[in-house]
Amino acid sequence: MEFDWTADQIAFREAVIGFAHKSLRDDVIARDAAGEFNRELWRRCAEFGIQGLPFPEAYGGGGNDPFTAVLALEALGSVCRDNGLLFALAAQMWSVQMPIHRFGSEDQKRRYLTRLCSGEWIGAHGMSEPEAGSDAFSLQTRAERRGDEYVLNGTKTFVSDASVADVFVVFATIDRSLGPLGITGFIVERDSPGLQVSGAIHKMGMRTSPMAELALEDCRVPVANRLGREGRGAQVFNDSMEWERGCILASAVGAMERQLADSITYARQRQQFGAPISQFQAVQHRLVDMKVRLEAARLLLYRAAWSKQHDRDPGPAAAIAKLAISEAWVQSGLHAVQVRGGYGYAVEYEAERDFRDAVGSLLYSGTSDMQRNLIARSLGL
Amino acid sequence: MTNPSPLPSVKQFILDHFLEGEDPSRLTATTPLMTGGIIDSLGLLEVVSFLEKEFHLEFEAHEVAPANFDTLAGIETLVKRKQSQRGSAS
Repeated sequence: MEFDWTADQIAFREAVIGFAHKSLRDDVIARDAAGEFNRELWRRCAEFGIQGLPFPEAYGGGGNDPFTAVLALEALGSVCRDNGLLFALAAQMWSVQMPIHRFGSEDQKRRYLTRLCSGEWIGAHGMSEPEAGSDAFSLQTRAERRGDEYVLNGTKTFVSDASVADVFVVFATIDRSLGPLGITGFIVERDSPGLQVSGAIHKMGMRTSPMAELALEDCRVPVANRLGREGRGAQVFNDSMEWERGCILASAVGAMERQLADSITYARQRQQFGAPISQFQAVQHRLVDMKVRLEAARLLLYRAAWSKQHDRDPGPAAAIAKLAISEAWVQSGLHAVQVRGGYGYAVEYEAERDFRDAVGSLLYSGTSDMQRNLIARSLGL
Repeated sequence: MTNPSPLPSVKQFILDHFLEGEDPSRLTATTPLMTGGIIDSLGLLEVVSFLEKEFHLEFEAHEVAPANFDTLAGIETLVKRKQSQRGSAS
């Protein structure tokens, strides 16, 4: 494996950092309190090319390889403090755009991938249900073929960005008795008859990426909007989940770098007992642990992205990356709070928001427990 | 032109993905894969996906059943039948 960046990748990374400094700074504290998504920041990201990073130029994408996309998202995380925005970008990229790119028809790519890459539309992913979380394939949303359309009935929950999304990738079953082989994917536009976004879900963190439920009541979806073959939705979902597991925490690695740099700055300035607290071993060890976790997380991220780029069977690399990076981010967030003492607990100093945001990473794209199950399976257990 | 037997590549796939570290000689043509707990419903998806990619076939939902997928012999029979149907159709 070769992880050296090319000169072009280094230059691109610097450009992303410059863009984030210039265009992605706003009052995240206020928007976090209000649970408010910032569409203007989304538009700026699209204009820069973030949403289109790994997708073909034919659909308005940047034509970059997955590794470069991951480097860019990491770079964003190292500057932009809006973890919810970065999560929304990554969630759309890996769980909406990627399945349309890999399994969609040419017509679907032109109708949806183009608009998602341009930022004109926002995409969200509807899989989880009230009775089907980790056990995703026990979903109950039904899809019945009637002539040239499908009629969907059911409820999707924990849908990130549902309240701001224009289009959804939704999974339903055509026949529950077939188990996973009955699951089928669909692209459902927001104004589809029978689709309603409901039940805003107020969360512990990532509040600038609003979450809600989808109610599908005789929701009519044209056959042309079926994503992939009938009964192959589980395959579509598994494929997108592998991209998510491996790549969705790229910005978290950047955030950990930012947390470490900010914590070192704080520790050098903060004086207690007549000295900067950076001179106290307890504080130093905490910062060292943050550094070690950051470097390990970065290598695991790059390995997972490299595997996807080279279309190698990643084995458990994606699950290992997701598990390790999420748990490292939470620990890093907690240490950043502790380095600041009481100030770390105060909203004004933002460390507490980073910590709250990190906790969600233990749960989305497959919980840490599910990642451990996947890794156990790869060990033949 | 006859197609080569799918058995070796299917057997290797199952050894690599579901029986890592096991003695390959223990996986025979009649070892129960699904009813024997080697492959669950998610594993079956992986096998189907592998077969479709490896042999350029498409399986219908009703074909993906224990009757066809519980043994290597059953999988071989199904794949050969599909290949033969494809050959007749072209």
